[in-house]
Amino acid sequence: MSATANPSASSSLANATAVRRTLPFGNGNGNNTPLPAMMAENGDVKPSKDDSDASDNDDPDDLNTRTKKKYTKDRKLGEGAYAVVNLGHRRATATEAAVPVAIKKIKVNTEFRDGLSMDAIREVKYLRELHHPNIIALLDVFSSKNQNLCLVLEFLDSDLEMIIKDSSLTLSMADVKSWMLMSLRGLWWCHKSFILHRDIKPNNLLLSASGVLKLADFGLARSFSDPYRPMTSNVITRWYRPPELFYGAKFYSSAVDIFSLGLVFCELMLRTPFLPGNTDLHQLELICQALGTPTEENWPGVTSLPGYHEAGVHVKERGTDFFMNTFIAAGESGVELLMKMIRLDPRRRCSAREALNANWFSQEPYPTQPVNLPKKGGGKGIEKVGSDLKRKAGELFNTPDDAGRGKKLARKLDFGG
Amino acid sequence: MAANFWTSTQRAHWQLTREKIADMRKGLDEEDTNKGLGLAYPLPEHKQLQLYFHHCLQRLARRLQLRQQPLATAETYLKRFYLKVSIRDTNPYLMLSTCVYLACKMEECPQHIRSVVNEARALFQEFIPQDIAKLAECEFHLISELNSYLIVHHPYRTLMEVQVPLKLSTDEIMAAWSFLNDSYITDLILLYPPHTIAFTTIFLAVFVRPAIHTQANLNASGSTALGMGAAAGAGGSIVQPSAGQSVAVSAASGINPQNLSSARLSQMSEWFAESGVEMEAIIECTQEMISLYDAWETWTDKVCRESVARLIRGRQLS
Repeated sequence: MSATANPSASSSLANATAVRRTLPFGNGNGNNTPLPAMMAENGDVKPSKDDSDASDNDDPDDLNTRTKKKYTKDRKLGEGAYAVVNLGHRRATATEAAVPVAIKKIKVNTEFRDGLSMDAIREVKYLRELHHPNIIALLDVFSSKNQNLCLVLEFLDSDLEMIIKDSSLTLSMADVKSWMLMSLRGLWWCHKSFILHRDIKPNNLLLSASGVLKLADFGLARSFSDPYRPMTSNVITRWYRPPELFYGAKFYSSAVDIFSLGLVFCELMLRTPFLPGNTDLHQLELICQALGTPTEENWPGVTSLPGYHEAGVHVKERGTDFFMNTFIAAGESGVELLMKMIRLDPRRRCSAREALNANWFSQEPYPTQPVNLPKKGGGKGIEKVGSDLKRKAGELFNTPDDAGRGKKLARKLDFGG
Repeated sequence: MAANFWTSTQRAHWQLTREKIADMRKGLDEEDTNKGLGLAYPLPEHKQLQLYFHHCLQRLARRLQLRQQPLATAETYLKRFYLKVSIRDTNPYLMLSTCVYLACKMEECPQHIRSVVNEARALFQEFIPQDIAKLAECEFHLISELNSYLIVHHPYRTLMEVQVPLKLSTDEIMAAWSFLNDSYITDLILLYPPHTIAFTTIFLAVFVRPAIHTQANLNASGSTALGMGAAAGAGGSIVQPSAGQSVAVSAASGINPQNLSSARLSQMSEWFAESGVEMEAIIECTQEMISLYDAWETWTDKVCRESVARLIRGRQLS
């Protein structure tokens, strides 16, 4: 009898995925010998010996093994609350060259064993269904030893926050337009698919080596609520959170994402967060000062929101003049778009679709081609991913010019040696 | 609902054919036989088990006060899972609890793992391990086996959407709704797109039910299990009892089917004819439903309960 026929808790823990259909139901009934570890150090799997029907295409674990074998893990990039991100690459095949990927290993909460976190579930759930050039691609999912779920994501080496903070870069209005265009396209696709992102901010807008912007981090995303089903108002990073959520709105819509993106728009122009509140109350105050105080006149119904309270500051909702003064560089049509995105009353904000139709995008200066967009420069703003990553990433991805230079350099060295 | 059914993983990966499903089940059975498990732990026929699991899921869902949607998702997960993994390699009670737990997270009504385990233990006693880690582990396997395709598109939404344009009465909607609940006992959700199933239940509610209804009145067996009545009409938030052991159940809702004018019926059949819905698929679904009710007539949970218990004890899976 093969060992796999007898599931046991101990062996399933160690080899859950390498052993076919060993499910965690066993109690360990004594006559089980622990299976030899089948995983190599680097996360690769050696084929299981008693896998008699490895050619069976329908076998899930074989599929898993095959999926896993497509990738190698290179190095740790960072660690978040519920995941460890590793740089890896898809092995070269006969037809395709090796492609770098990010492997996000979801930590199963080992202390509480509380099941997979909602964040992880949401990310898998939505990225499995959403496919759009401006949304990060989930290439594969596989399970590794120790029962970790690994998400293979396309590797994107920088984000908009790095660009904004990199003072060595000059961002033209055409560049800003290009980033806004790509963000709006990604967001439009989410909303069209009835999904709210709920965490739009510069460091969730990632940039590929060729300059394409992609929405990432769907840990807070959810599908639109059914009518009359409440949602939590405690979402979206504070600086980008719209006023209705501070008032505890439980029924909200895609307008929350539009507001966040509107503030990213401001930040791209100002090169610093537009409304950096220290606390929720302070944030609301900043919103009132910058955009105007919500009242029944400019936002019918606001006073009946569950968390509504009268603001200390009383500012009339800002008009075109104010925004023209602050964001003159965007031009009239740019300011018009911005104002539609950050209206106080969520019902008066534009949709992603409407925003994409804004005149601003079809006027000169035209949006910069993604490949020509400014890239993160020599060392500033990258510290958060680590200098290690920077060097490696620089080797792997740079503008075509840089890659060419790298090659030349290598050749030179070769010749020199 | 999220994303788009037409581009969904459900349509791409989890819409199968009858032949494919039969093949997959046969493959699992053969494997069990080879391992000597098939003989050692005989299980009732598949349809019987599906009825049994449906009842278990429903009882658990009711204890947890779930809406219909997460329950339907859980049922779909369980079906998908048992196409890839043999029942004999699992503890079905733990598995179905896991499906409920994961489905709740997916449908944005998360339940604490502890409360799922507690409620499941209240129902299935010693068959559910007290250690919540077991269920967490099981969740991981479930996700793996489902290839992390987790969004399920259900027919309920279509049903609600066409209510107004088709001028369906509350009575008809309620009947269709409970047919829909029952459809999760069958493999329909693995075979057809959600709208086809939704239209089948409407077809059943409008055309088939009145005929049976008349008969049921004669048998005076109509008024069972009608707790579903008002609640389902009012938006159907909590899990409803199913249409029960016979289609006759829907009879008790008080509207006399004879009142259905023939004008209304011809209007509906005209609509079906012109709608472009695949009538062939609807007929097939209808047959599936009718054979379900047939099997249900003679079904008791005793055989299933006992053989599952023997399986879990014998293989020490609890």
